[in-house]
Amino acid sequence: MSIAKRVGAPRIVPTRGIPYPTGDPSLGPEQERAWRRELLERALHAVMTSVSEPTVFDGDQGQ
Amino acid sequence: MVHEVHELGLGEHTSYAAGRLTVGEESVLDLLRDPAFADVRLGCTSPGDRVRIVGVLDAVQPCSKGPGGGGVFPGLLGPALPVGRGSTHVLRGAAVLVAGYLPRAQEAVIDMSGPAAPLSPLAATHNLVVEFAKADEATWEDVDVALRRGLVRVAAHLAEAALETEPDAVEQLDEPGATANGKPRVGVILNLQTQGKFKDVFVYGRSLSGGLPTVISPCELDDGAVVSGQYGHPSLKNPTYLHQTHPVVAALRASDELELAALVLCPEPVDQANKELISAHAARLCKGLGLDAAIATKEGGGNADADVTLKLDLLEDEGITAIGILAEMAGRDGTGPPLVVVPSHATAMVSTGNYDERMTLPACERTLGRERIALLDQPSTDEIELPVAAIYCAQSTLGWGRLTCAEPVA
Amino acid sequence: MRIVHYVNQFFAGIGGEDSAGMGPELRDGAIGPGRRLATLLGDEHEIIATAICGDDYAAGHAEFAAQLVAQARERGAEMIVAGPAFTSGRYGMACARIAAAATEAGMPALASMHPDNAGLGEAAGAPLVQSGLIARFMKDSLDRFAAAARKIAAGEELTAQDGRIGPVARINRLAQRNAAERAVALVLTRLGGDRDAGEIPLPDFDSVTPAAPIADAAEAFLALVTEGGFVPAGNPDRLESARATKWVRHSLEGLDSAEAGSFESVHGGFSTQWANADPNRILPLDVAREMEREGAIGRLYGEYLGTTGNGTTVADARRFGMEWAAELRQAKIQAVILTAT
Repeated sequence: MSIAKRVGAPRIVPTRGIPYPTGDPSLGPEQERAWRRELLERALHAVMTSVSEPTVFDGDQGQ
Repeated sequence: MVHEVHELGLGEHTSYAAGRLTVGEESVLDLLRDPAFADVRLGCTSPGDRVRIVGVLDAVQPCSKGPGGGGVFPGLLGPALPVGRGSTHVLRGAAVLVAGYLPRAQEAVIDMSGPAAPLSPLAATHNLVVEFAKADEATWEDVDVALRRGLVRVAAHLAEAALETEPDAVEQLDEPGATANGKPRVGVILNLQTQGKFKDVFVYGRSLSGGLPTVISPCELDDGAVVSGQYGHPSLKNPTYLHQTHPVVAALRASDELELAALVLCPEPVDQANKELISAHAARLCKGLGLDAAIATKEGGGNADADVTLKLDLLEDEGITAIGILAEMAGRDGTGPPLVVVPSHATAMVSTGNYDERMTLPACERTLGRERIALLDQPSTDEIELPVAAIYCAQSTLGWGRLTCAEPVA
Repeated sequence: MRIVHYVNQFFAGIGGEDSAGMGPELRDGAIGPGRRLATLLGDEHEIIATAICGDDYAAGHAEFAAQLVAQARERGAEMIVAGPAFTSGRYGMACARIAAAATEAGMPALASMHPDNAGLGEAAGAPLVQSGLIARFMKDSLDRFAAAARKIAAGEELTAQDGRIGPVARINRLAQRNAAERAVALVLTRLGGDRDAGEIPLPDFDSVTPAAPIADAAEAFLALVTEGGFVPAGNPDRLESARATKWVRHSLEGLDSAEAGSFESVHGGFSTQWANADPNRILPLDVAREMEREGAIGRLYGEYLGTTGNGTTVADARRFGMEWAAELRQAKIQAVILTAT
């Protein structure tokens, strides 16, 4: 994530692991899918939000 | 207790006298024997030979504290207990190497002469090279375990030959204490790869994977407490040999102005959240140890840059001067960004050269390890063109080498 | 030194945008700003010829630089200089490529442009010297250009003081002391109060202007892209696991999920076991389709674009990004989700 910020990606959604960006093998299949859904919801929120500099969308923006 | 080796050869019995190390073939093959192997062969090579070792997996410095090892390589040969006290006999200038194929191992090259020789620490040692073939019924994991066990046994066995000999030098290595002698306290942070099979490093014979940073005495390194089981990124490799002869520890011991205060071992997790935890914890640990500065080393490729740069930032936040030793991956013409993960505010880093720059290595007479270089699909004896990335320890992130992209200092 | 000077169609006095398509030419002597440059270079150096090319032709024909350099060499050139390009993007890229080609051919070279010129990244390590922002600052730019050219001709290194800009190639050499000793020395220097000493300069990434937000995801046409090495099983395009030099595209039509066995990851930078067990962990197709069905997303693009982000050079990554942006904009995509590893 620090790389994403450093190179200037304007909208960033943090994930839990390099080998599984839209997943989490420590969860059961249903919960993992729910986590994937959460990430995409945050991504949609991010593209609907105006930003002026690299901004992290980690779910604390109260969407 | 340092015993210098100036000559190496195979013979009937293992012996050491007047700088000449003779390796007893039968005894050594006996120590290496394991159901995982269909065949084991021994070869010797010395600095200056027109020899190329291809597919180097690990290298170990012969050391022993007594018959049977006396406790060295805890957890693998000796009992799994802290070491680093008392006398240890080392055969300086000799090494036991293993070369061949293992899964996930990237082909590593050592040239004992020629332009690539100054780039590898093992080109300056008299090497006993172990070659092997896997038994059909064995798995590669079995082979990996058998090699590691065999290697440390042989290393201890060879040093045992010098136990009764008067050492060429005796080095007094003190354990760091909580002494307040006025000099700045500097810690060494040793980041170790912990990615499972063929990509792990062993402390007291066990992996640090899933654990938190810990502190051991630097003297434990000399007794083989850290043994490598990872075989990737040849130029960035930290073989057991360099853990035993840790260059940063040695440089701090040699410094009159700084005190070697602590050695911190850290696993290198793959995921970001754990990297952040380990690095933050390590920074707190360093603060608790009363360090004024810390030098962080790494293991592995670009992903592992984060394990160093995160620590540099967090250490600086704790008011500890932080230095990182990092290799650059600046592309073939050297104009790409040097680091995969840059620190956000720390800036003190030492460069161990560009991974991607290419070199031409001349043809050689004899090879040990692998007969063909799979990467190039050429016989190992050919003249070959390779990136620096393939030369064993050329960019040593433990600081062994002189390769750098830094501008010369006036 | 016998020098060939490169200018574009405009500075050669041939024409403006209307002549931007003209092909490469070599004309005798100095032309346009080259005349003043020749005077500033002094008697020991001569501008024997001027190379000219239209900006559009140069941008569209990658070989133009090597061709011009070969022609210049035949004409007797010992050194090549290009510009000043100020902030003219196509001209700057052309100048940088000429300098790179000359260096590749073993000739000393120098290009002049403003640090904001897009050509800055194209010189592959050949020296670049700073010019003013616009042609109004030609006089000062030429002064600096000439001084730098004289240094290069004399075989000297350009420094920041001379106005050197652009990425400096990192070249391997053997230091006197090993890295451990230098690290210990750096501790002392830093403890002594020096806040800048170090051997690795930190890169400056250009800043990207964020795109305006989309009004409503429920109406949006959205594409999924990734650098996770995501490919159809068997990797038919042979996408590299590291140092990727290309990107791939494949249809997602009719697929509701990225099934194990249909897709895989060939990324060499991490263990792909989890990605291969469930490729949706790299390209979140299952959930994206679900959201498309529910109306949370307007429509999902019928293809994904992908590459492997493992040791990819910045130049290649930038190129892929530009090409993806062009493709997706053509397809009228409004938003993109990139899964990064």
